Formats: sequence, structure tokens, C-alpha cells
Amino acid sequence: MPDNNTHDSADNRTATDGGVAGQAGQAHRNTDYLGSEVNLLNPSTPFMRDHLRIVWTGFAIWILAVWGPVTATYLATDAMTTQMPVLGFPLHYFLVAFGAPTSALILSFWYSRKRDALDEKYGIDHATAGGTSRGGEAAAADGGERSDESRASSEQRSDGGVDE
Amino acid sequence: MTGVPVVPLQESLLPEAMDISFKILPALLVVGMLGLFLAIGFVFRVADTEDMWVAGRSIGNLENGMAIGANWMSAASYLGMAASIALAGFYGLVYVVGWTTGYFILLIFMAAQLRRFGKYTAPDFVGDRFNSDSARAIAAVTTFLIGFVYAIGQAKGMALVGLYIFGDYGGLIPGLDGYQVMVVAMMIITVAYLTLSGMMGATKNQAVQYVILILAFVVGLLVVGYTNGYSTVLPQLEYGMLIDDLGSEFSEPFATSSYYLWVATTFSLIVGTCGLPHVLVRFYTVESERTARWSTVWGLFFICILYWSAPAFAAFGTDLYTQNVNPTYGDPGMTGAASEVIVVLAAQLSNLPQWFVGLIAAGGIAAAIATIAGLFIAGSSAISHDIYTNIINEDATQRQQIFVGRLSIVALGVLTTLAALDPASSIAALVGYAFALAGSVLFPMFFLGMWWENANRPGALAGMTTGLVGWSIPMINEIVPNYVSSLEAPLSAGLAQWMPAIGSALITLPIVFAVTIIVSLMTDEPPMETKRVVRQCHSPEPMRQQQTAEDVVTDGGETPADD
Repeated sequence: MPDNNTHDSADNRTATDGGVAGQAGQAHRNTDYLGSEVNLLNPSTPFMRDHLRIVWTGFAIWILAVWGPVTATYLATDAMTTQMPVLGFPLHYFLVAFGAPTSALILSFWYSRKRDALDEKYGIDHATAGGTSRGGEAAAADGGERSDESRASSEQRSDGGVDE
Repeated sequence: MTGVPVVPLQESLLPEAMDISFKILPALLVVGMLGLFLAIGFVFRVADTEDMWVAGRSIGNLENGMAIGANWMSAASYLGMAASIALAGFYGLVYVVGWTTGYFILLIFMAAQLRRFGKYTAPDFVGDRFNSDSARAIAAVTTFLIGFVYAIGQAKGMALVGLYIFGDYGGLIPGLDGYQVMVVAMMIITVAYLTLSGMMGATKNQAVQYVILILAFVVGLLVVGYTNGYSTVLPQLEYGMLIDDLGSEFSEPFATSSYYLWVATTFSLIVGTCGLPHVLVRFYTVESERTARWSTVWGLFFICILYWSAPAFAAFGTDLYTQNVNPTYGDPGMTGAASEVIVVLAAQLSNLPQWFVGLIAAGGIAAAIATIAGLFIAGSSAISHDIYTNIINEDATQRQQIFVGRLSIVALGVLTTLAALDPASSIAALVGYAFALAGSVLFPMFFLGMWWENANRPGALAGMTTGLVGWSIPMINEIVPNYVSSLEAPLSAGLAQWMPAIGSALITLPIVFAVTIIVSLMTDEPPMETKRVVRQCHSPEPMRQQQTAEDVVTDGGETPADD
């Protein structure tokens, strides 16, 4: 956003966006999501980049938790089948029967928290996701050309921040 | 299938050591439970399609989480998993891992995007995303086939526990033994209930069914563990002390199967989880994409409660069986039929009161009915919505749609009953075949369709056909011969070793991905309109409750539902 670099004028008082979202939120409002390619390996929007970083991190840990213990058991059978202290399980049995499902559950919780935090960072509010924010305006715009419409609505909501 | 215990083709499917007789209290319990389901189904009965398929998109976090759990936990989780762990030892744990950890993949790659896409059925996605009625039809047929294969295992499980509660009525229907009579009776009840309600009734019911089945299972485990002195308050962790006494067969890695088979099966179950239509459709029913995410977390938690407990039940049951009946391992060992009811057997062998054992058995029936409900709804909506309304008769009235929907539920019920009279494999394995199918055909379409906007119609058609063929090869090799008296299964031992029917997605999935991608690259890109729908599925911009991605992209407003 190159527009925000004129700080000398007094009428730039509206430059804050009410403290809602900061830079990420502005990036979000200036993104035309329908015009940006969806690519798992090469994300095209800041939001997608941040999101995929979380996704891939979780995926890597998931691979270790699911396939790690059984592969280790295959490679080093004796070490992995030793009995655990206190619980009495053979180690491989515990890691597979209890460790894998539990890891998936913890990872899922972690991911959903991260994803919520991401929404907050970008100023996205699902609580009011109802008819008010985007949908209403879009419907009022009565089926015009879509890209114009989304630009129009993002301008409406980001008025004050960016002087063009 | 190398070393996987398959139920021997029946001399009799009656499990030994189980007390098969009519029992008044357990019978009342089951009748009361079914009555409750029907009452709930009746109260929430539906007359329009929006309610029938997606429950008015009104379901919240916890309720959807429970529905995910009940929908998910079938007779295969309730009975079949403990059976596999008891008989196949370490290999049996593939079900514990495969049927839980897949939810994380579903969550990070698909749950919220599916909600944003927001149609009615899984074939809807395939048809609309790839702009092809042929693709829609293939997906619908696959959905129907999955419901059918999956439900065979459920029918078997219901019939086996039905024997404990209602007794042996062999000969009541000429030519059918006690197990088979019970298959017919249980399926009639299930179909009657399903045709009366729909998805709305089913969703409300599933929350109730979850509570019944999880209480029955966990309380059963606690009591069995406590009365036999195995455990106190946390049997899920305390059974570890017992493992050493159960014999090396219970825990020794790769004793009954190879590392390859372990990996193949787990992989297949994981991708199958992410491709099962009755699981995917749960994300269309929620109020927002955030609910889609959090209800997945809740669902997985509810599922884990049972999956942490099942190995403990298997350990207790194995020990009780060895002490009271026969050694579990060696010759003769525990039969497949007995292992399938080991959860009920464990309670019975602990000399617990009849009504209590009946409660555990009833939980098994609730598990099976809840899952059949989800499967049959998905299967019937595939026929009624995707094939009949979208392809055959575009002007179908709601009455006609619902009529065709009910008709296909009955058809699924009849097919399932016939196949379950003489099932070819254990409950868990039967269900596993359905997962291999979902993982080979539907998962690649959802994943590529959602994450690669250039995937197109020819690619999808080629990919799905490849997936169907790939899945059929090991099924014909290993399963079909069981139904043909002159053939011996498997036809090719080498093929069975490297492409086992239960783990075939490990081979087919990469092939389907490659075929879809290559064909898509060689043909024209999909239209811009389609790409924008995909982009809308990934946009973080909130959407309204009744909105689908297509609505936003085409006219921004709410299109009148396509009825």
C-alpha cells in the first residue's frame, strides 16, 4: 500500500481503521480473492500464505506422529518394543494406539486456534458473518459485474484508511 | 490378504461362548431405544428437500460434533475394531490410527472449503466443480456403492448383537439360520426408521445415538475393568499392565502382517475418511465455516473417546476369553464370530447383570443404525438429487424427489440385507473396502478440485474412471471369489500382497492424482467461472448462512434453491 505515505496533511486523520486489524486487515480488504489464483504450492494472497504456513507445519507434524512410530518399530524393533515404565505398555503399542489419535486431536485443536487467530489478524469476523457484511451489499448491487462489485464493497468498508 | 483373519465362510455364524437366548430386559431396552429414535425421527420429520438433505444448514458446533461422532462410529468401531485388535494384534491398530488421524487432514484441507462450497451432496460438488453430469453420475454411483459396501458390515454387527438380545430364530424364515433371520429383522427396522425421517431427523437422532453408544461403551469398559480387577478409573491407560500376559500375539509388531500391509491399510483408511460422502456432507449442514472447523475438532474428540477405549476392551476381552473359554490364540483359538462380539462377550464373561450386558449390546445397535442412517441418506440423495433430479427429470417436484429418495433407501436396504446374509469378511474389513473406494475415487476429486483450480472435466472423468477400475481389481481378486463357489480367493496371491483390497488406495490414489493432473494439463483449462468458485471457497471473507460459493460468484445474491 503505497498510498499511506503522505503524512504531512492534517486531513489524514482517518488513517487508522479504528484499530481493528492493522496492516494485515488492510491487505485483506485490498485483496481481490476472486482474482487471485488458488495454488497449494504457490499461494497468491497474504492470507493464503499465512494460512498455508500453518497447514504445512501441522501436516509435517502429523506425518511424524502417524507414520513415525510404526516406521521406527520396523527399523528398530527391539528398541521400540521395550516395556514402558509405570504404564507397562510396549513402547510401540502405546505410541500407535494412544499417541497417534491423541496427536491428531491436539493438532486439530491447535490448527483451529491458529486459524481463528488468523481471522482476527486479518480483521475477519465470523460472528457477524450473517447478512450484514458482504452478502447484503452484494445483493443490493443487483448482479453487476462481480469484480467491480467486490472492489466497490471493499472500498466502502475501508473508507478512511486509504486516500486514493 | 496376508495374515489378516477373515471370517471363515460360514458353517455357522453363531459366535461360540455367547449366551444366545431371548432376554426380556435387554429386549425392552432395544425396543425402547428404537422407539425413541422413531419418535425423534417423527417429531423432526421432513417434507422438503432442503431439510431432508442438509437440515436447513442450522446445525451448531457441539451438535454437529456429536453427529460427526455418531455418524462415524459404526459397528466397525464399536465391535469390529476390538475384534481386529484381539485377533490380529498390532495390525488391528491400523483401524485406531486410520479412523482418527484422517480427521486432521479433513480439517486442514477440506472442512471449511466444503462449507463454503455449500451444496447438497458429495456428487453435487463433483458435478458442479467439473461442470459435468457424467462426473456427477460417476460420483453418485460411487456414493451408492460406498453406502452398500459399508452397510454390509453394519448389518452383520447388528445381527450378531441381536442374537444375544433376541435369541436364535433359525428356521423362522425358511432356509435362513438364526444370524440371517436377525439380519433381515434389523434391516427392516432401520429402513423403516430412515424412510420416515430424513437428514433432519437423522441429525437430531445422531446426537442422541452418540450419547447412548459412548455411554454404553465407556461405562461398559469401566465396569468390566473394575469388576475383574484390571483397572480402576482410567482403563484406557491401565490395560498396558495386562499386555505382557496376553501372549506375544497381542502386541508383537508385524507378526500377522507386514509393515507394507500396515502402511497400506492405514493410508487407505485415512484418505477414505476424507472422501466418504456421508462424512463430507456433514460440513454442508453447519451454520458457518468456523463451525465446520470447530465441529471437526469436537467430532474428533468424541471419536477419540471410543478409540482410546477399544484396545482396552480388546485386551480385557482377550484375557477373559482365555480364562473362561479357550486360549484365544493357537488351535482352535477364538473364532471370527466370537471376536466380533468380544465387547459383549467381555461383559457377559464378567458375570455382569443381564440388563447391563444388554445395554452394551444395544450400544452396538445404536452405532450401526446411526451410521447406516448417514450412509443411506448419502446414497439415496445421490440417486434422488444427483441422478434423478439433475440428470433424468429436471422438473421433478419435491414430492417426486422425496419419493425417489425413499425408494432408493429401500433398494439399498434390500441389497445390503442380501449381501449381509453371507458376508465375506470381518466387520472392520468390510468397512475398510468402502474406505478404499472413497479414497480412490472421491478424495482425489475433492482434493484436486478444491486446491488446484486448473483441474478440469476430462481430468476428473479420467481420474474417477481410473479410481473405480483400480479399486475393482483387488476386490475381484480377493472378495468376489468368496461368492462364487467354484473359485478360490485370492485369484492372485502376488497381487493380494502388493495391492490388498483393504489398502488398495495406497496404489490407486497416486495413479488417480497423476491421471487427473496429466489429462487436465493436456486439455483446455476450466472456464473462469469455475475457477472463481474455487477461489471463493478459499477466500476468508465471511459468507451468509444460506449462501454457496457459486451464489457469490454468479450473482452475489441468494439464488432460489435449485428445486
